[in-house]
Amino acid sequence: MIRVLLFGAAADRAGTRETELQIEDGVTLAEIWPLLAERHPDLAPMRDTLAFAVNGEYARGDAEVSPGDEVAVLPPVSGG
Amino acid sequence: MFAIVEATLDVGALIRDSQRPDCGAVATFVGTTRIDESEGAAVEYLEYEAYRPMADRKLEEIGAEIERRWDVGHVSIVHRLGRVDPGEASVAIVVAAPRRGPAFEASRYAIERIKEVVPIWKREVWSDGYVWVGSQVGSRDGISGKS
Repeated sequence: MIRVLLFGAAADRAGTRETELQIEDGVTLAEIWPLLAERHPDLAPMRDTLAFAVNGEYARGDAEVSPGDEVAVLPPVSGG
Repeated sequence: MFAIVEATLDVGALIRDSQRPDCGAVATFVGTTRIDESEGAAVEYLEYEAYRPMADRKLEEIGAEIERRWDVGHVSIVHRLGRVDPGEASVAIVVAAPRRGPAFEASRYAIERIKEVVPIWKREVWSDGYVWVGSQVGSRDGISGKS
């Protein structure tokens, strides 16, 4: 199980700020996206704008994710 | 000091805390809520949210980047969360340095980096709906909402 946190426009479109996904050991971030998009279809059109973090640090699609990890879905940041 | 807070920013206190006998310049950048208008509607306030503690850590990293690149004596970055009304400060950056050049450059660098890497998001609440800045997701006309 991994915890997925959603922020800003991604939380808005998904209709939730947090969800959990059942995953196998050693999957990559890129492999998690289809599971998330299937559960929250309104997220799908945002794919190209999103960044991801694993355990609080930016991560690329080939980053490994293990059960117990925290994945964050990050729309384009707009602080300031 | 690097902080993310819900309370009103006390810019004067941040400036006083930055003043040091080995620095001859203090540069301050304050970002404030601006009322934009379009098609008969106007921004009423902004609302910020952050991914913590990643956002806190990213502010500290920006401070470390500045200390590597410029000769500075003090860097403070404080960002506000929640509702920020027109004219109020959402972010304050204070850099003290021995000389003015690095103080100006480093404070400019800090705000540009915040807008690139710190996981903080801004929602504009308009008189006719809202927009997530940068995502074009929201409830105003012409903005894609929840289907």
